[in-house]
Amino acid sequence: MKRKALAACILLLVPVCAAAQTADPATRELIEKLLARIDSLEKRVAELEGERSTQAPTPAAPPVTAGQKPPIPAVMPPMHDHDQVPVPSTNTPEREYPFLKLAGFGDMDFSASNLHGSNGGFEPQTLLGSHSGFALGQTTLHLISALSPKVNFFGELTFTARSDAGTGTPPVPGFNAEIERLIIRYDINDLFKVSFGRYHTPINYWNTAFHHGQWLQTTISRPEMVEFGGSFIPVHFIGTLVEGALPADGLNLNYQWGLGNGRGQVISRGGDPGDINNNRAWLFNGFLRPDHPYGLQVGGSVYRDELDPLGGPVAREWIESAHIVWTKETPEFLAEFANVNHQPLFGGPAANSQAWYVQTAYRLPWFDRMFKPYYRIEQIHVPRADAIFKPVPTFTASTSGLRYDFSPLAAFKLEYRYYWRRDLPPIRGIFSQVSFTF
Amino acid sequence: MQMPPPLLPRRKLLLAMGCALATSAHGGAAAIPSSSVAIVVRSDLPVENLSFSELRRLMLGDRQFWSSNVKVTLLVRAPGARERDIVLKTIYQMSEAQFRQYWIAKVFRAEAASGPRIVYSNEMATELAAEIPGAVAFVDASQVPKGLKVLKIDGKLPGDAGYPLH
Repeated sequence: MKRKALAACILLLVPVCAAAQTADPATRELIEKLLARIDSLEKRVAELEGERSTQAPTPAAPPVTAGQKPPIPAVMPPMHDHDQVPVPSTNTPEREYPFLKLAGFGDMDFSASNLHGSNGGFEPQTLLGSHSGFALGQTTLHLISALSPKVNFFGELTFTARSDAGTGTPPVPGFNAEIERLIIRYDINDLFKVSFGRYHTPINYWNTAFHHGQWLQTTISRPEMVEFGGSFIPVHFIGTLVEGALPADGLNLNYQWGLGNGRGQVISRGGDPGDINNNRAWLFNGFLRPDHPYGLQVGGSVYRDELDPLGGPVAREWIESAHIVWTKETPEFLAEFANVNHQPLFGGPAANSQAWYVQTAYRLPWFDRMFKPYYRIEQIHVPRADAIFKPVPTFTASTSGLRYDFSPLAAFKLEYRYYWRRDLPPIRGIFSQVSFTF
Repeated sequence: MQMPPPLLPRRKLLLAMGCALATSAHGGAAAIPSSSVAIVVRSDLPVENLSFSELRRLMLGDRQFWSSNVKVTLLVRAPGARERDIVLKTIYQMSEAQFRQYWIAKVFRAEAASGPRIVYSNEMATELAAEIPGAVAFVDASQVPKGLKVLKIDGKLPGDAGYPLH
């Protein structure tokens, strides 16, 4: 760099030197001094480069023959893997396979509420505990490995602090490890991609948009209808998925069709080791991302399964859901609805349970756009006649909060929630979270 | 951390002379006209024109294959480059933080195996665009080397009236 600068100065000074033949003695003296200064600087640069080469010897570059392209300049290491610089360390543009990339998410939480005792069916991730205090959230590891240009592996592992995860008597607190997603996918083209594995069931926008990345979602907790460990929506799905997208005259229609094991006997769990009956669950999810207005997504899903739950009747399950989201932040808008129909096969009343939420947020233009206030209202209604959803709480909840992105990859969230519960007293609570990606 | 030494008076003089001579060499017009950003691909890619919506779908990772089933590889300049600023502002309509979060989420959702590849100069962008089948790069329109194809956007090339990337 210095050498280039010096060379540029020399080039610039050539006409000056030529003019110096006729310049006055003072100017000539100044030019001579400047040239001497350049000489001394060049010597210093040579010394520094000599020192550098002796300290860190580098292998000689292969000679570039005539007609051969020079190697592509070495790539600076990325500041962070999320800068998306998956350029190989070699100077070749082609990737070597497998090409593994690791990313992660984590969060730390604090909660305080007027709840003293059981929360009436809410999942631990909702942070509705009988004591106030800090809690470790989930540590999530996300693995992506390109096996070839068209075949990719995606994995998601979580480590969750639980009061009963340890062994011994009485059960001691510990961490629960879980494979949340394990997918291998062959991308034939945009219209047709086929995959196998364990998914977050794509019948709900939130369930597939944010997964276990708490930092990605605006709020601290997920809506209860898709809470991890919850029963309302089958959060996980084990099987195969065919998906694709087609332009459809600017509507950009995306589809997903899946066939899998469906719910296990504990209905909040998928059938990881195998199905519990000979009836596969299937689903169809379709959504539009139109060119105009840019940022809008509208879609709906259908899911069908046959359940054989512990402590409940064998029943056919139909789920219909719909969503509309505006993914920009000024404002951000998410709304979803789901209806779950249970039809007992050997007698008993059919039941329809509904859940919905509406969430809005706005990225404020001040303070470097670091603050985003938000509000969400959600409801789950389970009729008393629904024998399968007995553990699912019926409630309406209001959540208001503020997200502060104190770093591009970390956020602090503070929120207040109020729950109206059927047959139970309301819950008020304040919650905070530091979430990040790494 | 060692701070650089203050400029010596003679060095200042040298710099001043250099600046003065450079200015005089341009006839006193120091302003360099800014040019548009060109979309370049390999010449063997069977694409000549993209609508702006198609370009946006490519950049969002919603379209990952060219019509010839060749996989799209996005090459985007590193933060701070003018070409990147134009792409983010015009196509993505996102801030730097939103762009980063968008791709983290996209990969996390398994909708894409990786985000755009980052390039640190126009020269690097064009070299990789020439090497990788299906690569698309955004470079200063005045620095497009021979052998690469410049794509039209809605029928317009850089410099045409109504060309969006400038």
